[in-house]
Amino acid sequence: MSRISPVTGHYVTVEADGLEYKVFYLENGTGQPLVCQHTAGCHNHQWRDLLEDTEITANHRVIAYDLPRHGKSDPPENTEWWKEEYKLTADHFVNFIVALCDALELEDPIFMGSSFGGNVALQLALRHPDRFAGVLSVEGADYSPGFYLDWWQHPHANAAQVCASGVWDLMAPQSPESDRWKTWFYYSQGSEAFKGDLHFYSVDHDLREDLDKIDGNRCPVVMLTGEYDYLTTPEDSARTADAIQNATFIKMEEIGHFPMSENHRVFRDYLLEALKTLETKTSA
Amino acid sequence: MTAPLKAGPGRDWADAFAAASNDDPEIQAHGKYFTCTYLLDATDRSYAIKVESGRVTEVTTDPGPLDVPYQFAIRASTDTWRGFGEPVPAPMHHGIWAASFQRDMRLEGDILVLMQNLRCITRQIELLRVVGSPV
Repeated sequence: MSRISPVTGHYVTVEADGLEYKVFYLENGTGQPLVCQHTAGCHNHQWRDLLEDTEITANHRVIAYDLPRHGKSDPPENTEWWKEEYKLTADHFVNFIVALCDALELEDPIFMGSSFGGNVALQLALRHPDRFAGVLSVEGADYSPGFYLDWWQHPHANAAQVCASGVWDLMAPQSPESDRWKTWFYYSQGSEAFKGDLHFYSVDHDLREDLDKIDGNRCPVVMLTGEYDYLTTPEDSARTADAIQNATFIKMEEIGHFPMSENHRVFRDYLLEALKTLETKTSA
Repeated sequence: MTAPLKAGPGRDWADAFAAASNDDPEIQAHGKYFTCTYLLDATDRSYAIKVESGRVTEVTTDPGPLDVPYQFAIRASTDTWRGFGEPVPAPMHHGIWAASFQRDMRLEGDILVLMQNLRCITRQIELLRVVGSPV
């Protein structure tokens, strides 16, 4: 058996809101595109096991990109970004994802994101219901205050360790130690982007008054949340799903806020259920 | 497999906690600059934990109001701490961030010192799963 993974990496140039990005993505599989957004302050290795999950890649082209300023996707090519504070907004996050899907010429993609990716999944369903075949909002909610903190970038503390150990409790004790430590390691690499990402997650993202405007028939929504998630609890996601037309909520046992990264083996069964639910909703 | 012996609250717990921390490979590998004193306040019991260069050098049980200076405190009810002492804690008993966001835990005092030592303190608190509840 070849020791070379079937997962390949590419760069694609994407323009959004006048900003030009050279975006790195990993992909594997054939079939309906499944576009995967990592969590705030992290990168696409969170999807490492999904990218090699043959049951899913048999029917899906799994695309896991690094959001600009994360992993191998640089900050914008055409601005002096170092002269501004990075604060991600819902508008720009949504416009970027749509521009990425356009640049890759994806037809009927499913969008899946976790944490701030789960939140933007709801924004996409609200604003671009016809661009996506459906969205999977993992660890998402209508509103998730409380994490836009100065500690992530405090110059008197080790920001890498504060970010990494600050999110440690978001994972379940049952998840394999090696996978939790990989997730910790990824978080030690992203402190400069983490706080700016959380501007979207905890400040700019607020759909409490807009959930009834999401057309879950045009763009079906499935939400999945782990019981060890202290930021977006299963109750938060259930409340959100209840208010969205035709949405389904799946509670995940013995897993936390980074399900695909902390324990893909447990997450995959819930994901397969979610994909099946989405398919049923799409064909209905 | 037999369950590890758990220490009773008070002096036994303090000694077991110090030993577990000082024998822990992760803390010993990464604790070169882990130096601080903090109060673990479990309502019915409390402990002032002094750490110097990664080693617990003193644990004062139930310190009086002015006995031991400490830089920050981690306070919670007995119920919350008892959850931390389970081998596999229930959701929201599984870490100081989780219990602060979703239960009655409070992080007080000079939080910067907590953040500066967050990696090792996170590990120390996780050792309660083996050492048992402090209360």
